[in-house]
Amino acid sequence: MNQEGVESESAIVNQLKRLLLAIEVSGRAILPGTNDQLLQSIVDAAARIFGATAASLALVEKDGQNLVFRVATTVPGVESVVGMRVPIDRGIVGYVAMTGQPIAISNVREDARFNQDFARSTGYMPQSILAMPLISNDRVIGVMEVLDKINAPTFGLMDMELLAIFAQQAAIAIDQSQHFDQLGRAVLLGLQTLASQEPGQYGHLLGALQDSQGYSEQDQEILELADLFYDIRMLGEAERRMLLQVTSAFRDYCRSRPGQFGFGRI
Amino acid sequence: MSSEPLRPAWSQSFSPEALQIVMTSGPIAHINPEWAWGGSTGAGVRVAIIDSGVEADHPALGGMVRGGVIVNYDEQEPNKVRIEPEEQPVDIFGHGTACAGIIHSLAPEAELYSIRVLGRDLKGRAVQFAGGLRWALENQIQVINLSLSTNREEYYALFHQLTDDAYFKNATLVSAVNNYPVPSYPSLYSSVISVAAHEGKDPFTFFYNPSPPVEFGAPGIDVKVAWIDKGYTTSTGNSFAAPHISGIVALIRAKHPTLTPFQIKTVLFACASNTQAG
Repeated sequence: MNQEGVESESAIVNQLKRLLLAIEVSGRAILPGTNDQLLQSIVDAAARIFGATAASLALVEKDGQNLVFRVATTVPGVESVVGMRVPIDRGIVGYVAMTGQPIAISNVREDARFNQDFARSTGYMPQSILAMPLISNDRVIGVMEVLDKINAPTFGLMDMELLAIFAQQAAIAIDQSQHFDQLGRAVLLGLQTLASQEPGQYGHLLGALQDSQGYSEQDQEILELADLFYDIRMLGEAERRMLLQVTSAFRDYCRSRPGQFGFGRI
Repeated sequence: MSSEPLRPAWSQSFSPEALQIVMTSGPIAHINPEWAWGGSTGAGVRVAIIDSGVEADHPALGGMVRGGVIVNYDEQEPNKVRIEPEEQPVDIFGHGTACAGIIHSLAPEAELYSIRVLGRDLKGRAVQFAGGLRWALENQIQVINLSLSTNREEYYALFHQLTDDAYFKNATLVSAVNNYPVPSYPSLYSSVISVAAHEGKDPFTFFYNPSPPVEFGAPGIDVKVAWIDKGYTTSTGNSFAAPHISGIVALIRAKHPTLTPFQIKTVLFACASNTQAG
C-alpha cells in the first residue's frame, strides 16, 4: 500500500474509533435511563397486581459479592432502599441470589436470617415476603421481592408463578440495558466480524480495529463523564437542569479565560 | 379472567381439582404404608442434605447430624471442587436446616449429613451440586435430598451420569423441581424421585402423578420449618416438599434395606394417597 493509502486508512480508523466512543458514551449517558424507568414500572406493576405494600429489585454487582437495590416502590415515611448494598451471603435476597430459587416467607420478623439491621435502617419491617431470582443466560443477575400482601397473611405458590413472569420481564430489560451499556464494544465486534470476512481487502483495518480495543485514559474520562451525567440525570429534573447550567457556565468561563486550565494553550 | 387459582405447572397435577385416582394391581396392590414403613424410625440409614449447610446443634434435629462437608468451587481442582470436612456443620442461610428438620421429624433415627454447596461464587453452583452428589455417592449415603437445582443445559450429561451412578450404588436421590416450569436438573431424570408441593398439611400424605417427570407431590406450602440460630420460620416452596419424601424413603430403606431406587419408587406409588387397589 502506498503512503497515501496508509494515511487514508488510518484516517478511517480514527474516525471509526471516534464513532465507537460516541456510541458508547451515548449508550451510557442515555439508554440505561430508559431501562431504569422500565424496571421501575415493572416493580410498581408487581406491587399493584400482588396487592403488596412494597416491591423492590436488586442486582448482583459485577464482582458477585454484593447486591445493590436498583429500583423500589415508594413507601410513605420510609427511606428508599435504592442504592443500598447487601452482601450476597446474607438475608433473603442473598439466599435467592445464591440458590437461584424463589422463596416465600410468611413471618419474616421472626426469621433470624432476615437482615434485621437492614430492615431497621430503612424503617420498614415486612411481615411476609416473596423473593424471586432474575435469571439471564442461566445466571442469577438479581432478585425481585414483593413485601406484605394486603388482605392475606402470606404469598402462595400461585404468587410465585406470577412473580416469575415479572422477573422474566425485568431480566430481559436488564439484559438489554447491559447490551446498551457496552454499545460501542458491540458495534466494534460487529465491524471486526465484517472485516474478517474479507481479510484481503480489510486486513489493515481489522488490525487497526483490534488495536483500538480498550480505551485510552482520555476516552475513559469521557466515559466516566457520561456515567456521571447519567447518575445526575437520574436524580431528578431539578438536578438535570442544574447540571446543564453548571456545565454550560463552566464552559463559558473557560472560553472567556483561555489558558487558565489549559484551554487554548498551544 | 378465570376464577381458578393459578399454580405453578409442576404443582398443578396435585391440586384438588386435577388430582387423579390411580389404580394399582397385582402384588403392588398389597403394598401399604403399614408394610412399607410401619414401626420404622429410619435407624441406620444415612441421609445427606445437599444445601446451604445444616445447623448441627439445632433442637429440631435431635442431635442426629453425624458430619458433613463443604464443597468449594475451585477451578484448579480436577472436578473444579475442593471438599472440606466439617465435623460440626453450620448453615449459612437456614434452608438446609429446614430440609433436615423435616426429614428428622419423619425419620427420627436416620443419620443426617450436611453437604454445603452454596458459596459466594455464583458461577460454580452447578459444579458444586455435582461435587456434593459425588461425595455422597463415595461415602455410602443411601438417601440424598437435593432441594436445589440448575437449569444449565451444559450440565445435562454430567448430572445424568451422576444420577445413574446413584442408581447403581443403590442411593435414592430425591429432588425438588424448581418452582416455575423450567427444566431443572437433576430433578428430571427417571431414576430421581422428583417432588413438587401440594397444599396439604399432613406430612405423611403424598400424591402420585401419572404424568412424569414430576411424580410425587408432598406438603410444601406454609410449612413451619427449622431455621438458623435455633429458630423457626414459615415458608413456601417445592424445596420443602422434597424432604418429606426423603424422610419417608429413609423409613422404607431402614425397614427394607435391599430395595433399589426404582423399587422404592414403586412402594411410594403404592402408598400414595391417591392410589387405590383395583
